[in-house]
Amino acid sequence: MRRRLPAVLLLAVLTLLPPLLPERHLATFVLLALAATVTVGVSLLMGYAGQVSLGQASFYAIGAYAAGLLAVHGVPPLLGLLAAPVIAAVAATLLGAPLLRLRGHHLAFATLAVQLILLSLLAQADWAGGAIGLQGIPRFSIGGFELREDLGYAYAAGFVLMIAVLIARNVIESRAGRGMRAAATSETAAAASGVAIGGYRLAVFALSAAFAGLAGGVYAFYLGYLAPGSFPVLLSIEFVVMAVVGGLGTIAGPLVGASVIVLLVQALNTLGTQPGMPGYAPAVLSYAVYAIVLIVCVLYLPKGLVPPIRDRLSVRPATPAPDHV
Amino acid sequence: MSDLIGYLVTGLGIGAGFALVASGLVAIYRVTRVVNFAQGAFAVLAAMLAASLLGAGVPHGLAELGGVTLGALTGLIVGAVAIGRPGTSPGTSLIVTLGLGVLAYAVEILIWGDQPRSYPGVPGVADLAGARLQAHYLLIIAVTAPVFALMAWFFTRTDLGRALSACASNRYAAQVVGIDVRRMGLLAFTIGGALGGLAGVLTTPVQQVTFDSDVALIVNGFAAAVLGGLTRPVIALAGGLLLGVAQTLAAGYGGGAYQVEVALVLMLTVMIVQAARTGPVAETAR
Repeated sequence: MRRRLPAVLLLAVLTLLPPLLPERHLATFVLLALAATVTVGVSLLMGYAGQVSLGQASFYAIGAYAAGLLAVHGVPPLLGLLAAPVIAAVAATLLGAPLLRLRGHHLAFATLAVQLILLSLLAQADWAGGAIGLQGIPRFSIGGFELREDLGYAYAAGFVLMIAVLIARNVIESRAGRGMRAAATSETAAAASGVAIGGYRLAVFALSAAFAGLAGGVYAFYLGYLAPGSFPVLLSIEFVVMAVVGGLGTIAGPLVGASVIVLLVQALNTLGTQPGMPGYAPAVLSYAVYAIVLIVCVLYLPKGLVPPIRDRLSVRPATPAPDHV
Repeated sequence: MSDLIGYLVTGLGIGAGFALVASGLVAIYRVTRVVNFAQGAFAVLAAMLAASLLGAGVPHGLAELGGVTLGALTGLIVGAVAIGRPGTSPGTSLIVTLGLGVLAYAVEILIWGDQPRSYPGVPGVADLAGARLQAHYLLIIAVTAPVFALMAWFFTRTDLGRALSACASNRYAAQVVGIDVRRMGLLAFTIGGALGGLAGVLTTPVQQVTFDSDVALIVNGFAAAVLGGLTRPVIALAGGLLLGVAQTLAAGYGGGAYQVEVALVLMLTVMIVQAARTGPVAETAR
């Protein structure tokens, strides 16, 4: 029961919170849950497979465009939403096969390059709306029931986040997860002990892309409009910031990191749009927050927010804290 | 034929900008093993300041010098934050420079706003073997060539430059003979900042600068530098020029559509081939 507690807690928050929120905060909730879903994948990738991806937003974009394009062409929205993670994962597998030979900063720049190429191609692709964007994506519906209100999308985003968290937790606790954790500390030692590193790295890359794709699918139906500009490089950096701030290699980390960053940026945004503030204030404040939180966190709190808090809360200090939450 | 010469010279001019960014990356990476993601921000900050100074009536030359000085100063600050804390690993420093690059956005928008900026360079059109091109490209090439010669002289003929090269080839041995490795790292960051700033002030008259043009600069610079494994300045120079020419040719003959992809695909191919030839990169100590 003890190990189920966090999952039950998360489920309770995701079901009980949305109806209590005023309408104008529901949009924040939806985007927060979607960002957290992507960040769960980024955290898996960085914490367990030891890979920095500066292009995670490209899989978010691929998922969103996949769902959006299918829906625009008359495919049932549910089918489009289910296809989004699959298409993102397939794209990640195809890209990952050559790219995952790279390590460290090489991989970081390679993923960044992939995103820049994708954005440039999308801007030139007339079949995907080009630079103007893909318009007229229908609302999400199952059977005859159409999801119109923000509240419905809050539940959809929460559901998607729950799926990502459960899958990530089960992967971490599996045999493959232990192998990956070993590989993140020392690849040579793990390989010598018989861990199939290449396969695992590719699998985690594809899985993290699937999470991003699924979140992207919900995003497409929620906004009803997609443009290359919705997925800037900065968005990928934001996911990295959230993962690092929360704490890599934990399940609670991405949730805490995404919440802290999104709420902080939202609060500063409200402050920046107050009457009397200059027009550039929101942009300046949000860039400054991302930057300062990232730098301070990496230098002074390298494990992120979650592990220190967890250690302090640990009821049984005699035994080492479990690696999952 | 005259088209070709025009594209080539224009490409060399653009490529010289990439080469300057790339050589800044190399200067920093050799000494500190840090890939400096904020390298593009040096160029943007320098260009913005130069534009402001020119707007305030400061003559050409002096304004650009001010920009380069700001670049060098920013380089020093970035270095101090990125490697100032003892025990910061290069991977951590990369993330820190990434954060500093984003912080630069905030500063740039705060001071200069988010609109593109530019200023006039060398006016007029040059006629070169029948090809007509903006005369400013010739200035870029004319400034970049002596800068690279000066760097070659500095790194091989002066004590300070040799100390930097010593840190690059063996940090431990350099420490043993009494070189302050951390101070050399900061010096490398300052040089990198100045080179990035120079790239910015030189290319702005032919290419507008916005607060987020640093992404294109850093990616092209990295693409040029990675050809030589991030450690060989001469190959970084060649790589930058090659990229510039390849992009201009792709834009000239390909109708301007796919010039971004040329550099990026080239970079990916080079890295993958390098990784395949050397096998997995050696593990970094943690």
